[in-house]
Amino acid sequence: MSELSSEEGRVRSFMGPGARVYQRVFARMQDESHRGLPFLPLAALLGSFWLGARRIRGWFWLFLTLELISVVLIVLALGGGLDRTEQTRVNTLVQLAERRVNEAAAARVQDPGSKMTASLTRSAQSLEQAAKQAQHKLTETGPRWGLLGLGLIILLTSRIGLGFGAIPLVASQLRHAHINGQLGHTGFSWFAALQAAMIWLLVVPLTFLNFAGFIPENLFDASGIPNLVSDAARVVDGYMRGVSSALSPVAQQVTWIIEGLLDGMEFVLTATPWPVITIVIVALAAQRAGWLLALGVALGLGYLLALGYWVKAMQTVALLGTASMIALVLGIPLGIWCGYSRRTAAIIRPVLDFMQTTPAFVYLIPVIALFGIGKTAGIVATVIFGIAPVIRQTSFGIASVPATVREAALAFGAGRWFMLFKVDLPIARASIMAGVSQTILMSLSMVVIAALIGARGLGEEVLSALQYAAQGKGILAGFAILICAIIIDRIIQSQRRQK
Amino acid sequence: MIQLEGVWKVFSPEPATVMAKLRHDSTASLAAGEVAAVRGVDLTVDRGELLCILGLSGCGKSTLLRMINRLVSPSDGRVRIENEDIATLDPAALRALRARRIGMVFQSHALIEHMTIHENVALPQEILGVSRQRREARAEELLSRLGLGGLGRHGISSLSGGMKQRVGLARALAADPDILLMDEPFSALDPLIRVELQDEFRRLSRDLDKTTVFITHDVAEAFRIADRVAVMRLGKMEQIGTPGELLAAPANEYVARFVGLGQSAFPSKQEP
Repeated sequence: MSELSSEEGRVRSFMGPGARVYQRVFARMQDESHRGLPFLPLAALLGSFWLGARRIRGWFWLFLTLELISVVLIVLALGGGLDRTEQTRVNTLVQLAERRVNEAAAARVQDPGSKMTASLTRSAQSLEQAAKQAQHKLTETGPRWGLLGLGLIILLTSRIGLGFGAIPLVASQLRHAHINGQLGHTGFSWFAALQAAMIWLLVVPLTFLNFAGFIPENLFDASGIPNLVSDAARVVDGYMRGVSSALSPVAQQVTWIIEGLLDGMEFVLTATPWPVITIVIVALAAQRAGWLLALGVALGLGYLLALGYWVKAMQTVALLGTASMIALVLGIPLGIWCGYSRRTAAIIRPVLDFMQTTPAFVYLIPVIALFGIGKTAGIVATVIFGIAPVIRQTSFGIASVPATVREAALAFGAGRWFMLFKVDLPIARASIMAGVSQTILMSLSMVVIAALIGARGLGEEVLSALQYAAQGKGILAGFAILICAIIIDRIIQSQRRQK
Repeated sequence: MIQLEGVWKVFSPEPATVMAKLRHDSTASLAAGEVAAVRGVDLTVDRGELLCILGLSGCGKSTLLRMINRLVSPSDGRVRIENEDIATLDPAALRALRARRIGMVFQSHALIEHMTIHENVALPQEILGVSRQRREARAEELLSRLGLGGLGRHGISSLSGGMKQRVGLARALAADPDILLMDEPFSALDPLIRVELQDEFRRLSRDLDKTTVFITHDVAEAFRIADRVAVMRLGKMEQIGTPGELLAAPANEYVARFVGLGQSAFPSKQEP
C-alpha cells in the first residue's frame, strides 16, 4: 500500500503544479468516446520555459532556438540593427569607392594610356555605382514585411504546435520515466524551472538588445587577449623542443625500423616485374571471390599500367602495407588487452576517439617535430590515423566472447594462454578481421596527406595536381587510388565472408 | 568425497568487511549491493553418490556448485576434495584438479562454436596435453556411448538442444574425472527429452561410479535421479536427506511445500 501511495506521490511531484489538470486530461484521453487533441494554453504561452521547467530538454533547446530566430527576425523587420549593419557596410563601400577613384586619378596623372589605368578607372566607376545604389536602397527601406511575417509565423506556429503537443510530450515523458524507473528524476522541478528562466533571461533579451542596436559595437569583442597566442605558442614550442630532443634516440630507432620495412617492401614490389604481380593479384582475387571479380581486378590493374601509375601504385601499396602492418602488430595486442581489462579500455577509448576525430593535419605537427619531414613521418601519421578500428574491433570481439563459454573453459582447467588462443581469439576472429580491413582502408585514405610530408606514391600525383590546379591529372590519379582501395577491399572482405 | 564446512559467499565491493559483520551476527542486515549468496553451508557428498541440490533460482545453489571447483572462491569456510583443502592449491594445481578430476556440465551447454564436436568433447584432454589421436579415440568412444557416434567431425550448430547437452556431458566425462558438477543441465530441454536424458544420466553415473552434485529447481527431476536431495533456500541448507526422508519427515513448512510438488513423482512413497 505504502509503495503504491509513494508512487502516486512521485507521479504528482513529476506533474508539478497543475497536476490535477494533467491527470484530468490524461483521464479524458483514456476515455474512448472523447476524441480530439487536448490543447494546453499554458505551454503555448510559456514556450521554451514550460519545456525547460518540465525537464524536456531536447525540445527546450529547439524552442529556445526558434524563439531566438523569431525575435531576431521581428527586430530586424521593425528596422532595428539591420539598418545599422547595413549602414556600416555602405560606409565601407563608399570609402573603398573613394579610395579607388583617387587611385585611378593618380594613375591617370602618371601614365594616362596604360592598361592598368583603364582597369582601375573601370573598377572605380563600378564601385561608385554600387555605393550609390546601396545608399539609395538604405534611404528608401521601411519596415520589411516579409521578415516580420516570417518571424511571426515561426513564433505562432511553434507555440500553437507546442500547445497541442504538450500533453503527448508529458505523457511520453511519464511513460519513459516509468519504464526506466526514474520517476523522481524527470518531470517538473522548481530547480529546472529556475534554470530555464535564467537561461531564457540571459539569452533572449541580450539577443534582442544586440539586434535592436542598443549595444555598443565593440562591447562583445571576440578577438581574444592580445599576444596570448604568441606567448602560449612560445611555451608550447619550448615543450615540443624538449620532448623531441628527449625522444630523438627512440625516434631514430623507430625510423630505422620503419624505413627498413618500407624500403624492403617497396623493393620487392617495384623490382618484381609487373606481369608476376598482376598474375598473383588476379589469381588471388579469383580464388577469393570468383572470376568475375578477377576480371574487374585485371581491368583495374590494366588502368594502372596503361597510365603509367604502376610504380607509384606499388609505392603506395608498400606505404600502406608497412603502415597497416605496424598498426596491426600494435593494435591487435592492445585490443586484446582492452578486451580483458575494463580499466585499460576506459583509458584507451578516449585516446582512440581523439585520434580518430582530430584532423590529420593537427597531429602531423608533432609527428614532423619528432621524425622530421619524410616517409617515416608519413607512415607514423598513417598508423595513428588507422590503428583505431583494429583496436576497437579486437577489444569488442574479445569482450563479446560469451561468459558461459569462458567459464566452461575455466572449469576444464584452461590457463590464460589456452583461453586466449583456443577460445577467445577464434571466437573474436570475425570481428578482428573486420577491424583489420577497416584499418587497411583507413590507412589508404591517408596516402595524399602522407604525400604532403614526403611519402612517395600515388598521393604525390594527386598532390602535385592539386598544387598546379591540373584537374584532369588529379582525377586520373585519384581514380588510381580508388582502384587500389577497391582491389584491396574486395580481396579482404570476400575472405571474411568465406568463413 | 566432497566436504563443505561452513561455506559462505558474499558478493560486495568489500566482501571482507561484510563477512566480518556476518561472522559476528549471521542475521545482520546487508546494505544495497551486498549479497550473501551462500550462508554457512555444511555438506558432505560421499564417493559414488548422486546428490541433488534443489532450490529456486537465486537461492545460491549455482554459487555453491562453483565453489567446489573454485570458479567462485568462498568468502569463509572450507572446501575439501578427498580431504585436500582446495584453497591451498597453487594455480597450476588448481587447473590440474579441474582438468583431471572434475567434469562440469552447464545449463547453456557452453560448447564452443568454432570447434568440431570431437574438439569440443576433447577440450579437457587438450588442456591436459593428450595427443590428438588418443583424444579423438576417447571422444568417439564417449560419443557413441551417448548415441552420437560418427558425428564427431561436424560442428555443433546443427545439433538439437538435447544433442548439445549430450556433447556437453561427453566433454565432462572426457578426462574420466571422479566428480561431476551438473548445473541445471536439463532445465532448458523439452519435457520428453529431459526425462530421457535424466534416466540415461542416472544409469551412466551409476555405471561409471562418479561422485555427482546435480543442481536443479525441478523437484521431480531431483527425486527421479538423486540418492540424496539437499533443499536450499536463501543461501541456507533447509534439509538434506533421501527423497523418502524428505517426503516422510520434512524439516519445515518450506520443505514440505516444496517436496509436495514432487509427490507425483513418487506416488508409492506417499503411503506410510
